[in-house]
Amino acid sequence: MTVTSVGRALSAYGAALKRAEGVTPGAGDAGSGFAGMVKAGLESTRADLRAGEAKAVEALTGRASLQDVVEAVTEAELSLQKMTAVRDRVISAYQEIMRMPI
Amino acid sequence: MDLSSAMTIAAAGMRAQSARLRVTAENLANAESTATAAGGDPFRRKTVSFAERADRDSGLELVDVARYGEDGSDFELRYQPGHPAADAAGYVKYPNVSPLIELVDMREAQRSYEANLNPMQLARSMIGRTLDLLR
Repeated sequence: MTVTSVGRALSAYGAALKRAEGVTPGAGDAGSGFAGMVKAGLESTRADLRAGEAKAVEALTGRASLQDVVEAVTEAELSLQKMTAVRDRVISAYQEIMRMPI
Repeated sequence: MDLSSAMTIAAAGMRAQSARLRVTAENLANAESTATAAGGDPFRRKTVSFAERADRDSGLELVDVARYGEDGSDFELRYQPGHPAADAAGYVKYPNVSPLIELVDMREAQRSYEANLNPMQLARSMIGRTLDLLR
């Protein structure tokens, strides 16, 4: 009973996120939509962080301008903040659901 | 995303102004660079011109250095018969660099750079504050 209601809530959450992303939720993939979104977000954050790091290394060897580094590092930082904000939000929603008396 | 595009464009503006400051520094450093051979031409003042550049990947209109040109104005003649670069009449050609003009150019580059810093800071803080809504 508990597991199914949590699963339903999660799938509803995932569907809402998918709608927010502009994608229609596929039938029967409860939770995978959200997992996919988290994965895609993590991938893009990781790419941004890598780009920032690569630019910093290039700047240290004198191949990139300071402006490029600032731009790349800011991009990476904001991307990471976005990712952690969404994660915190989702986890708090999940905990809220888990605390629900049944 | 528009806000991060604003940062990219501002960074391009800052790069362009850095190039301008570099050219100014070159001019100032070479303000006394005469020729080594007798009657030869000294250092000629360099100029820089900017142009907008459409970035194909992002579709943004960035600024870039269009070309580095040369100032065609006359050289300054000084009477220095003992100088190795003096011509038959004893005159030495000095570069057409005016420290006053370079100083103003430098100050302009500084102000433009600061102007470009503002959209960068603003875009960053706007993204940050929007993210704060999630917390």
